[in-house]
Amino acid sequence: MIYILSYIIIGLGILFMLFGVIGLFQRKRDFYYRILIACKVDTVGMITIGIGMALRHGISFFTGKIFLILLIIVVLNPFVAHIVTQAAYKSGFISVYKRKDGDA
Amino acid sequence: MNIVLAILLGLLVPYGIRVAIGPSVWDRLLGMNLIASKIIIIIMVYASMNGATFLLDFAIIYALSGFIGTIFIALFLSERSIRKGRGKKE
Repeated sequence: MIYILSYIIIGLGILFMLFGVIGLFQRKRDFYYRILIACKVDTVGMITIGIGMALRHGISFFTGKIFLILLIIVVLNPFVAHIVTQAAYKSGFISVYKRKDGDA
Repeated sequence: MNIVLAILLGLLVPYGIRVAIGPSVWDRLLGMNLIASKIIIIIMVYASMNGATFLLDFAIIYALSGFIGTIFIALFLSERSIRKGRGKKE
């Protein structure tokens, strides 16, 4: 029973990640849109797959390590996305919609 | 579980395409960051398939070092374009 549940949750996580890929290849969007989509969906996909993994192994060292990885990812992923976006903005990377000549 | 691993490996291709065609250098950095976080998940799934607990230590270390690398690349890129005079000086 637990195995079926864990497969469903892992499948859900994979589904989230596929949605993230769709968000990454929008036609009329620029970098700032993509990093918002990619980072958010990435973290959610990881959490879902992590929980699915943890269910497969019950209470053990394996589950403990998985939750440690999840902790690192939940803390660091948005942090890195923020730093990259701030670095891009500070270094004068103007998003396509604000530019007068509109080059990518 | 092999299907999950296959899908995850298949997911790396779009990120590689994003790194290749990314119009700006920041898109490439974003693509690289995504590939790094995908590899963590692949290690986790592979470790869960074989029940190898020690593999998860690699995932932890790779998670930390991958993110730190991306941070420093972003800082380098922003300094470089500020020095070229395109950015805002604090």
